[in-house]
Amino acid sequence: MTKYPKASVEEYGYKNQRFLRKAYQIFNKVLVVLVIFLMYLPVITIALQSFNSSSELTAFGSFTFKWYGEIFQHPMLSSAIQNTVIVSLSSTLLATVLGTFIAMGIYYLSPKAKQRILLLNNIPILNADIVTGISLMLVFSLLLPIFPYMFGLPTLILGHLFFTLPYVILSVLPKLGEVDSNLMDAAADLGLKPIKSLWKVMVPAVKAGIFSGMLLAFTMSVDDFVVSYYTTGNGYDNLSIWIYGSIGRKSLTPAVYAFSSLLTLGTAIVLLTVNLLSKRKVRNK
Amino acid sequence: MNKTIRKLAYPYYGWLYFLAIVPIAIMFVLIFFDIEGISFGEASFTFRNFGLFLEPSTIEAFLNSFLFATMATLVSAVLGYMVAYPVFRSRFRNKFIILTLFILPMWSNMLLRTEALGNIMERHNIYTDLLGLESGFNLRGSNLAVLIGLVITYLPFMILPIYTALEKIDPSLEEAALDLGVSEMRKFWKVVFPLSFKGVITGCIMVFLPCMSGFAIPEILGNGNIMLIGNIIEQSFRNMSYNLGSLLAITILFFIFGSLLIVNKVDKDGGTLI
Repeated sequence: MTKYPKASVEEYGYKNQRFLRKAYQIFNKVLVVLVIFLMYLPVITIALQSFNSSSELTAFGSFTFKWYGEIFQHPMLSSAIQNTVIVSLSSTLLATVLGTFIAMGIYYLSPKAKQRILLLNNIPILNADIVTGISLMLVFSLLLPIFPYMFGLPTLILGHLFFTLPYVILSVLPKLGEVDSNLMDAAADLGLKPIKSLWKVMVPAVKAGIFSGMLLAFTMSVDDFVVSYYTTGNGYDNLSIWIYGSIGRKSLTPAVYAFSSLLTLGTAIVLLTVNLLSKRKVRNK
Repeated sequence: MNKTIRKLAYPYYGWLYFLAIVPIAIMFVLIFFDIEGISFGEASFTFRNFGLFLEPSTIEAFLNSFLFATMATLVSAVLGYMVAYPVFRSRFRNKFIILTLFILPMWSNMLLRTEALGNIMERHNIYTDLLGLESGFNLRGSNLAVLIGLVITYLPFMILPIYTALEKIDPSLEEAALDLGVSEMRKFWKVVFPLSFKGVITGCIMVFLPCMSGFAIPEILGNGNIMLIGNIIEQSFRNMSYNLGSLLAITILFFIFGSLLIVNKVDKDGGTLI
């Protein structure tokens, strides 16, 4: 009996890539961690700066909490914070409520009208901040003869509403598609008026979308600088505008680092709690 | 009944037309006039504003903007995909936490983050002091500093659309590909990547546009040495020459409308925009 050479799997084209794959996985993990670290580097630096007793930015004196106490002592900073909170809260609230109902309106439009309004809806998202800011400023200046004291809080809220609404709409819209369409018919059969059935049936069904839209809207509104810069007036500074001015004057107080760190920490805690609570709810069901 | 609900969307048309379309028309008119601010009292029709395009500073700003935005977009597209894909593949399936992870840096003010980044780019900074290093190297004011700043700031806008697009891929397609005998590598290039490509496009647009038109990051990290188109627009409006600013803004708008059409084509319901 002749002995044939035994064929190895390699001869069938199998390549042992176990080592390569492992190396690739490690490289990937390192890269992810590195990128996330880079994204957080400014945030970490801000936190570090907030504990620095020296107001010099180049040297670390000693560990201190004094800047945290000075957040509300600094008159300009505290009024800027207050203005930011007022503007962001009211614009987010308006955007969430209006955006939810507008999204429902859009959902029931004919496909063609739907695509047209969504194209328009993308303008505030994609438009350059500086163009949005200038555009709003131009429109508001046209309204100036009618409302002479408009620039300031009202224009800021309107401006923020303008660029936060699309985010809420885009968050709610896909959730509406997932709702069983029979629910609305059932509500109508049971004698509810359309608007009331929206409130009773649709709003609870798309709660998750509304919440994530609200979160996005608030984030965008708090972080915005350019649109606020162009739409404010009468010395009504929010945090971004005040920081921009202070950076220009080289007079940034470390108290603002303290405030920023507190805000980030607070947000992280709130978001994690919400996440934990919602998870528990699911498990209990 | 649907007709009643439909009416809820109508006021939004008006709102968008009034705040998004009307100002573009105003800017378009402003281009052709020679006035200060928007007082049309002694307006005279002119084409003189278009001379701005021939000025070397404008041309340089356009080139700069284009270069920086393209570089930042490419770098963040590669980095963004390489982060989004492993995160999507990991067993970690809690989307909420992932979203939080990438959105959280945005909760510190954008300008403050940029300033902090600028501070640690200087030769002597808080880290060299803490670690007892003699000196680092000075990056602030250089092109690289602006590029790094742009990438770090806008990377989340790249990661999130890619992640969303990856999540929407039907897993049975991947199983089918493996059943038909392709390797993991080919499965990625033939199935997963093409299906997630619309996320990449959306991400690229979301990074490219703000990079091209922003003015705060180049100003803070470039120490005022680096002029992008956004900086020139900002200066024109500060100097009350609304017409020159409008001209540049309209030019940027062409890019934006181009992107709008692309988004509308690849992503009909705006599903990857957020």
